[in-house]
Amino acid sequence: MSNWVFKGLRTGIKTTSYPDREETAPGVSPGLPRGGGFTEYEANLIASSCPNEALRQEGHKVIVDYRRCIHSFRCVRGIQTPINWQSDYEWATSVSKDDDPNRRLGKAFAHSAHILVVDSGDCGACLNEIKQLNNPFYNMHRLGFFITPTPRDADILMVVGPVTVHMRLPLLKAYNAMPTPKRVIAVGACALSGGTFGPSFISGAGVSDVLPVDVEIPGNPPPPLAILHGLLVAVGRRPSALLISTEGTGKEVKTS
Amino acid sequence: MIEVGHLITLFFALCGIGIVVAAMLPDRRSLQTLVWIAPLASVVILWASGEVLFLGSPFQVQLWTLTPVGTLTLTMDRLSALFVFITGLIFLPVSIFSAQYMTRHLGRESLKSFSGLYHALFASIVLVLVAADIFSFLIAWEAMSILSYLLVNYEHEHKFSGYLMLAMGEAGTIAVVLALLVLAKSSGTLDFISLKDGAAGLGAGARWAVFLLSFFGFGIKAGLVPVNMWLPRGYAVAPGGFIPVFAGTMLNLGLYGIVRLNLDLLPITQVGPGLITLIIGTASALVGILYATIENDMKGMLAHSSIENTGIITAGLGAGFIFIASKHPALASIAFIAALYHMVNHSLYKALLFLGVGAVNTNISVRDMNRLGGLIKKMPWTGLFFLIGALSISAMPPFNGFVSEWLTLQTLLRSAELQSTAIKIVFALSGAGLALTAALAVTCFVKAFAMSFLGMFRSKEAEQAVEVSGSMTVPMGALAILCLVLGVLPTYVIPVLDQTLMPLTHASAVDALVPPFFTTSSENPQLPTEFVSEFHDLGAQVGRSVLPGRGLVVLHRGSTRNPVVFAMSTSYTLVVLLLLLGLSYVIIHWLTYARTVTRRTRWDGGVRRLLPEMTYTATGFSNPVRVIFEAVFRPSARDTKETVAAHFRTAIRRTYKEVHVVDRLIFGPFTAALRRVARSLAIMHHGRINAYVTYVLLTLLVFLVIARFL
Amino acid sequence: MELSLDKSISSTTNLMTVSKIAEERWPGRVRSRLDPKRPLCYLECNSSEIQAVCNWLFNELGYAFASLVVEDTPSQWLLRYLFYSDPNAGQVHVLIRLDKPQLTVPSISAHVYAADWHEREAEDLFGLEFEGHPRLGDFVLHNDEWQEGVNPMRKDFDARKPYTHREPDPNWRPLRIVQAPGSFLMPIGPIYSGATESTHFLLETVGEDVIRVIPRPFYKYRGIEKIAEGQSVERMLLLSERFSGTSAFAHSLAFCQAVEEICKAVVPARARALRILLAELERLRHHVGAIREICDSTGLVVATSQTAILEEELLRLCCNFTGHRYLFGVNIPGGLSRDFSEEACREVTGYTNALLERLHELEEMLRFSSSFLDRLEEVGIISYDNALNYCLVGPIARASGITRDLRKSQPYSGYDAIKFSVPYEQEGDGYARLRILFAESEQSVRIIDQVVAALPSGAVIPKMFEIAPGEALGWVEAPRGAAFHWVRIGEDGLIARYRITTPSFTNWHGFRLAAESFAFQDFPIIMASLGLSVAECDR
Repeated sequence: MSNWVFKGLRTGIKTTSYPDREETAPGVSPGLPRGGGFTEYEANLIASSCPNEALRQEGHKVIVDYRRCIHSFRCVRGIQTPINWQSDYEWATSVSKDDDPNRRLGKAFAHSAHILVVDSGDCGACLNEIKQLNNPFYNMHRLGFFITPTPRDADILMVVGPVTVHMRLPLLKAYNAMPTPKRVIAVGACALSGGTFGPSFISGAGVSDVLPVDVEIPGNPPPPLAILHGLLVAVGRRPSALLISTEGTGKEVKTS
Repeated sequence: MIEVGHLITLFFALCGIGIVVAAMLPDRRSLQTLVWIAPLASVVILWASGEVLFLGSPFQVQLWTLTPVGTLTLTMDRLSALFVFITGLIFLPVSIFSAQYMTRHLGRESLKSFSGLYHALFASIVLVLVAADIFSFLIAWEAMSILSYLLVNYEHEHKFSGYLMLAMGEAGTIAVVLALLVLAKSSGTLDFISLKDGAAGLGAGARWAVFLLSFFGFGIKAGLVPVNMWLPRGYAVAPGGFIPVFAGTMLNLGLYGIVRLNLDLLPITQVGPGLITLIIGTASALVGILYATIENDMKGMLAHSSIENTGIITAGLGAGFIFIASKHPALASIAFIAALYHMVNHSLYKALLFLGVGAVNTNISVRDMNRLGGLIKKMPWTGLFFLIGALSISAMPPFNGFVSEWLTLQTLLRSAELQSTAIKIVFALSGAGLALTAALAVTCFVKAFAMSFLGMFRSKEAEQAVEVSGSMTVPMGALAILCLVLGVLPTYVIPVLDQTLMPLTHASAVDALVPPFFTTSSENPQLPTEFVSEFHDLGAQVGRSVLPGRGLVVLHRGSTRNPVVFAMSTSYTLVVLLLLLGLSYVIIHWLTYARTVTRRTRWDGGVRRLLPEMTYTATGFSNPVRVIFEAVFRPSARDTKETVAAHFRTAIRRTYKEVHVVDRLIFGPFTAALRRVARSLAIMHHGRINAYVTYVLLTLLVFLVIARFL
Repeated sequence: MELSLDKSISSTTNLMTVSKIAEERWPGRVRSRLDPKRPLCYLECNSSEIQAVCNWLFNELGYAFASLVVEDTPSQWLLRYLFYSDPNAGQVHVLIRLDKPQLTVPSISAHVYAADWHEREAEDLFGLEFEGHPRLGDFVLHNDEWQEGVNPMRKDFDARKPYTHREPDPNWRPLRIVQAPGSFLMPIGPIYSGATESTHFLLETVGEDVIRVIPRPFYKYRGIEKIAEGQSVERMLLLSERFSGTSAFAHSLAFCQAVEEICKAVVPARARALRILLAELERLRHHVGAIREICDSTGLVVATSQTAILEEELLRLCCNFTGHRYLFGVNIPGGLSRDFSEEACREVTGYTNALLERLHELEEMLRFSSSFLDRLEEVGIISYDNALNYCLVGPIARASGITRDLRKSQPYSGYDAIKFSVPYEQEGDGYARLRILFAESEQSVRIIDQVVAALPSGAVIPKMFEIAPGEALGWVEAPRGAAFHWVRIGEDGLIARYRITTPSFTNWHGFRLAAESFAFQDFPIIMASLGLSVAECDR
């Protein structure tokens, strides 16, 4: 047993200092495309290269809808003018519509929130990224986030997957079993728009068809830092980003 | 006060009237005797025994004198009065309950005979308890055996169990007769008083013979290991109107016999008999509760639990015998108080539990806990009273089981004051065994209550349960209230028991157990001053001015060598409990009065529908016990797998075969040995006349030789 | 741990003899045809002979069962039974045609038990009747939610339209097998534990140990095979990557190989070598993740953290190397979508060798943690015979003594030129599976070394090629075992049929072998030691 203790001590501290400081290690995020201005011809080329209709051309500009980006990289590889790329990770957006007091997590939850993770049909990558949240690099426990297996203890419901038809009822039951106040976070492109599976006879078009979503985290899959950012947005400790990028980094603060 | 003798005569008269009226009325109406006459008889006998028990009124009457056997005498001293009191206390509510319950037998069996037998049995039980000479004792005992056999075999279906009970009972009776005859040899007459006087003249060998024979005989009646095999079988077939009486009063007769013989008629002088009693008591308790925990039939479980409780009582008696033989009469007194208290408690809560089972069985014929469930939604009152019974038998404060278990275990801890190390080891092991028993009892009754009353309905029959009528819930409620009262007011019960035991042990324990209210040390000369003031500060003097009696704290102090103190007060506990509950209610109400409360269904992992077969069964709940104590149960489980098309399994059938540990270890080898002996003797029986004539010739020669040399 | 061919295969079998014997045994009823370019034998037989033929292939000749591909053509049902074996014995594809409206086919599950779930899936999705199969129904389309008679994989079912479902059936009851007093079902899932995939089990038990496991998968069924029909190859490439993200590269590789075979595209040598590198990188990352799951399930927190560090470092390495942590978007039919520099490749080998040192250290420390081993040794045992009957694949099968590995027995993408060994164990318990994971990780590092040392030069991005109609099977040894992608491209250049058989689908069938007759507490550990993916199984 003591061997494990010494090994742990020898390994040292690996934890990132996010959110106090930005994490700059390479490989923490695959990045996302960034909207911007091009010539009309280039914009047309770029916009039509996306297989999932995440890019839209408006005159000279290419507009990115992050909900639909599935990281196919066809807008950067094998194309004459690749789109701009942002390699950050603060992508989460708060989309709560109404000011329902039952859905506002107060100050008490800012440093201690329990999360229920429901897999409603995801491919395994998003879930694997969530499992990395408590590895020594990210260590979400230090920020006060805990994963719980029961909805009775949960404050935040984190949903991955496009909500298959078979998982619709269990997801609703889990949501109803959670006490108020509660928030719903949809993680990954599948949960936001149905991903590549899209609406079909057996698969939905995202969580917002089934539950009221508060925070959306795009990406396929979003890296752990993006999910961490999403959790901090959900409890009000970080400002949210934008889901539609016209130009710039997409990290502007929502004004409304 | 009315003279006791008149009351007792009135009692027997009422029982006789009950029999006659039951015979005269048509079947449907004969149960009314159970509503009017039997309760009246119970009240009368309660009054009579109460006078003797609490006021000390004497009762002794001499009936007819039969020349060969002497005078038939009836006496009720405090010991008998205690047992008679309990009998009356049980018969009262059970009669009212049975009157309603036995209507289900209308048309199938004769209700007249039930009512008649019921009253006759009542009379015979009381007669056993007041008999004061061997002959009347035996008459009453035989009458009780036969009447109980008739009642057990009431439903004419499973005759074997009744026969077994009768056969084992008769074997016990023979042993008891022999024991009493050995006693009588040295005294001349047959009445108990002269037996007592003549007991001093018996030698050690005769004492052992008396003890062993009587312990065997009365042990059969009480249901001690290893002679308790009739008990579960008998309980399983006895009708529901009779079982509460069976469990609540008739087992006590065996204990009465043990106490009467070993404390009164032939007081114990050596530790040997006490050790045997203690060990057998502990073994009975363990075996009883182990089999109760894995039993899924409600009646069977309660039967094994009765074995457990008599085991605990016997262990307490054993401890007392050892203390007497080691010249610690005060400790012995405490031990006997614990044992008798437990006996009282057991009668009450066992009768209550059996009434609960009977109430459940009124409308559903299912007794298997695996197929019940959710009954509390349909039978709330039965559920509540059954819960109180379950809490009492699991020794939960503030109910009565807690007080007697606590006292028993404390007494066993006092073995520190004995000299012999071997005895101390036996005490320690016995204490450990009883503690394990208490823990298993909790498991068993959590399972019994939860699987039967809580959760989802596990079968169609369970969904059709209906709450029973008032004449059945009120008796249960009365017994439940008694359980609570005896739990909350132990300091009033203990002096009564102490007075009962004082003439037998010649020591009083009440001062040691129940000190007066802790005001000043002058009232408590035995206790040091700082001790008294500590208790005073804790509030142990509250109630002094309003409540009669000594105090409300039960104290258990060690000797000067081992000055440890254990104290408990269920009275104060109840008060504090109610205060805390009330306070919690107020706080919660204040915290939540402005909030909405949302109720949601249970969380089931998101399955589409939670089915009853997806919930734990009684077998599953107690399976860990079966697995841990595999050495005792030795179950042999066989899985037969059926497959179709080479790999698809269509059925896996698991059959259990379990042989009871007593059968396996004692009766199995015993009968096998008997058979071997019989087989070897059977060599002689070959049917040849010539050889038989030779046997006769040989015998004649042997006798001639013996006669020649004597 | 040596490489050795599976003992049940006779090494003298080769396809010539297979073809000859088939025509001799069933003259006129079985027609055989050998593929000229590769070891593949096509057998076409009447549906009455299918049981005998499959029995002969599986039980006598020792072929393993890969997949059952059902196709709905306008006039006929086409059923293909795919078998595979070692390099000599190659593959055998058995085809039967059923003229519509006939729907009945004899079931081969009594002889080839591994076909059980394939037949159940075909019955649910296509509506075919497999005569003699005792347990059809309630598989992909749960009976308490779907009506009878709805078969989504038929061509006349429109996948775009949302299907209206009914309320859960109140009379539905699970099929129970155990008859014991007091037996009950313990439901697990679909939502259970911390962050786990959604799947449902009913454990039949009498209280302490699990007597029988009733799995109810397909809560995550997304209908990939149905969505694929009518899609372009480019679009299908995306789906083949994304239906199981943790083995994305392997599945996209199998799909690309099938398309390359149909279109007769030649993959540049450098692309083939880099494909090996990336596949092994993914295998390494998956195995480290699987070791982390095993440590997590037993509660050994420090080991979990240490392994999690390694996994995160591998994910970051993948992201630096390819741009995506899970290697999405790298494979395209004909080659790769981007090239990698020499320094980048050397950086990969440098890191993986350092990682191997740390893995060895971890393995040593775990070997001496007796409380950890107590939970794994002799727990979740799958015997060799059972593994063979269920045709289990991957590290699980190799832990039970089956040495089959598609990289050796059906080499692809240039694996036949790489020297590596396939480790195997005999015990078949959780600890054996753990050892296999460590040993295969080491082999992956060796393979990466060899590839980088001898990386051919040239292009990786392929030249354009025509999408031609045709059909082919692409296969790959994914991290969890053998995966088979059968693709048919129609005349219009769109996908007409895409059948995916994943290693998790094959191995979940055998999950009950490991979990039955063990106690409840061992259940999560057995699940973790098997390391299966529900998303891969449910597709």
